[in-house]
Amino acid sequence: MNARPDHNPDQPPATDSPAYVRVRGVRTVLGGKTIFDGLDLDIPRGKITAVMGPSGTGKTTLLRHITGQLPVDAGEIRVDGRNLAELSRNQLFELRETIGYLFQNSALLTDFSVFENVAFPLRQHLRLPEEIVRNIVLTRLQAVGLRGAAELMPAELSGGMARRVALARAIVRDPGLMIYDEPFVGLDPIALNQVLKLIRTLNDTLGITSVLVAHEFAAVRRAADWVYLIAGGKVAAQGHPEELAERDSPWTRQFFGGEADGPVPFQYPARDYAADLGFQAGGA
Amino acid sequence: MSQARKQLAIGDALAQVGAAGLFLFSILAAIPGSLRHVRETLRQIWFVGAMSLVIIMTCGLFVGMVLSLQLYYTLAKFGGTAALGTVVALSLFRELGPVVTALLFAGRAGTSITAEIGLMRATDQLSAMEMMAVDPLAYVVAPRFIAGVVAMPLLACIFNALGILGAHAVGVSWLGLDNGTFWGNMTANVEVWSDLVNGVWKSAAFGAVVALIATFQGYTTPPTSEGVAYATTRTVVSSSITVLALDFVMTAFLM
Ligand SMILES: Nc1ncnc2c1ncn2[C@@H]1O[C@H](COP(=O)(O)OP(=O)(O)OP(=O)(O)O)[C@@H](O)[C@H]1O
Ligand SMILES: [Mg+2]
Repeated sequence: MNARPDHNPDQPPATDSPAYVRVRGVRTVLGGKTIFDGLDLDIPRGKITAVMGPSGTGKTTLLRHITGQLPVDAGEIRVDGRNLAELSRNQLFELRETIGYLFQNSALLTDFSVFENVAFPLRQHLRLPEEIVRNIVLTRLQAVGLRGAAELMPAELSGGMARRVALARAIVRDPGLMIYDEPFVGLDPIALNQVLKLIRTLNDTLGITSVLVAHEFAAVRRAADWVYLIAGGKVAAQGHPEELAERDSPWTRQFFGGEADGPVPFQYPARDYAADLGFQAGGA
Repeated sequence: MSQARKQLAIGDALAQVGAAGLFLFSILAAIPGSLRHVRETLRQIWFVGAMSLVIIMTCGLFVGMVLSLQLYYTLAKFGGTAALGTVVALSLFRELGPVVTALLFAGRAGTSITAEIGLMRATDQLSAMEMMAVDPLAYVVAPRFIAGVVAMPLLACIFNALGILGAHAVGVSWLGLDNGTFWGNMTANVEVWSDLVNGVWKSAAFGAVVALIATFQGYTTPPTSEGVAYATTRTVVSSSITVLALDFVMTAFLM
């Protein structure tokens, strides 16, 4: 991929960069609304990178770009050195086999039991003896504390349990890149702690590169090596979580301080409030 | 409806037909990939077939009985009641079997396919499959499409068989037609190839049409509960119209 025949000698040849995911100049328009405009970021190999930002800022959209579910309107995304725009559907599927993705809404297959949901990626791509499938699936379920729930159907799970099953499914094939879209939502403090530890362990012991989208700064602080704060279609701030929390910029102050007023509007763009409620400007 | 809105609606409908046509090509392209999921395909054939079996059998029986009554009355005017078996069999094999089965199939299996795929879309299950490098066209859509094409002719045959039984019950047991005349006249005049097999072709085509519309509506539904409900309705309406229109065309060519 690097050895392009039309390589320009005036520019340094692309070196094997440490970034697993490289996002350059991405522009995205969805339903007439500009979500990203010139977004640049790198997800370093073997690290946990958190992506934070106000709701509706495009975090899930970014993850959909990175996994090739949604093409960008402009710019380039490289995952593991490969330009997503140049991949055929088969190549994209090959790439996805190395990516674990935790959906924001779990997205378990409702026809299958918890066990079969976790076994699904194994059964679809590998011909393993049943015994081995069973062992792999049960270890993953054990890691999220749900080995006892293996025979339940998704409809019988609570929201937090479903998220943990989805997590077990996402890690079942030992991916090189793990993407977590809000893994902590709906978890009680005990489960949250366990999931947090799991994310850290996967990263420390298996060297999995992780992208973590989350709103809980306390948790992000304990897990992430680097934080991107996305707002207004760009990276508004980035840094080590400790350092970022200390930093005195309007973005970070508002975001971590939770103030409604600041550069990030709390309100979705709307008409004038008073006019919407039927009051004349100036009042009667 | 104003002129402009009428034009818009017609344009919309045409765009849907075009999109469904393209969808057919992507299904056909996904069929080789779906061969890996033979078990899923067999499961769908069983499921779609078993689901519609009771309603198909009941309706077949009643249609045969009514047909027998009506035709007996008509044939009696010409003194030709001996032909009852033949006329019933021909109407069923050539026309009513494939068409009524297709309409029932659309209402029973088609709606359920649409709702199922639509809900999978709405709850991100299709995206989840894509992310697990499993093509939903090959794993979800193609097996259901194949199931429609395979199950419909089988169901139509069952419909026909039950229809003949119903006609026999009314014509012979109730109206007193001679049993030997009923069967003898029928077997002498019904051709296997031109009558029976033509009907099978028809019903395979109808199965393809209903399954295409059902999967297309489910796959492209807006991911909301309203979207799924609306798509389900559209499956019945579009399948019924398409089946009846196609029936005319096929009959004209197969005659
Ligand atoms: N298919 C779509 N069509 C039009 N707009 C869309 C579509 N999908 C998302 N959007 C818009 O894109 C923006 C970003 O959505 P996204 O889901 O990426 O937000 P998010 O940062 O993940 O928010 P949250 O933290 O609430 O999950 C939202 O304003 C949303 O309205
Ligand atoms: Mg999101």
